[in-house]
Amino acid sequence: MLLARVVGKVWGARQAERLQGHRLLVVRPLLAAACPSAVVAAAPDRPALAALRVDVSADHPALEESAATRVVVDELGAGPGELVLIAHGSRCRDLTLGEAVPTKDLVVAIVDGAELRFEQPLEGARP
Amino acid sequence: MILGRVVGSLWCTRKHAGLGTYKLLLVRPYFYYDPSHETEQVVAVDTVGAGVGEDVVVCLGAPARWSLGDANLPVDAAVLGIVDRCQLQRVAFEGGAPAREGGPRARPLAPLGAQPPRTVEWIE
Repeated sequence: MLLARVVGKVWGARQAERLQGHRLLVVRPLLAAACPSAVVAAAPDRPALAALRVDVSADHPALEESAATRVVVDELGAGPGELVLIAHGSRCRDLTLGEAVPTKDLVVAIVDGAELRFEQPLEGARP
Repeated sequence: MILGRVVGSLWCTRKHAGLGTYKLLLVRPYFYYDPSHETEQVVAVDTVGAGVGEDVVVCLGAPARWSLGDANLPVDAAVLGIVDRCQLQRVAFEGGAPAREGGPRARPLAPLGAQPPRTVEWIE
């Protein structure tokens, strides 16, 4: 499963019959969630190894998106800007949307909050 | 399975019923065996009581579902173990030749440079 940010919606008049009635969202998987260096740079006053709740609705540096987009089927009603959990695979699809829906990526949860660990880079570590 | 560190936890109220009350952990893999994998995070269901900051082994795909004891969960990643210690051949994970000629080399993820696994013992 991956964390991803919803960046848009897709709809079309002509689409596969079995996609009819399903919402399609454009998402961007997060690049490196809780990247220690990015987080430490953003919050240098935080003590090392502390866990902190972050606002998942805002542009937090720990939640940077990748440029790659992916189209997923959504049954939960996620909207642009929200952070969602994407499951991948035909079996996950069978268990949630049904076997007939032609997709392998789908939204299984809408994330309300996250607690991330903030770490200082270790001295003398490999570059 | 992949080796990673738990860097966070998530909570959700709107979710598929199949996800139930399982704890969701955000894991940063240390190495990825699939270079096409463009992101450096994976969300896994916790089965062993792992906490934030621990190094874990994450299973991807169908076996992750089996490990939860219910093959009908829409889950594709599960934490199956907490790492106490592991030994790695350094040359296989750093620049230069792979461990054997023509052999595979894991792709170390960018931030790893600053954060090697605490549990790893490197073999020269």
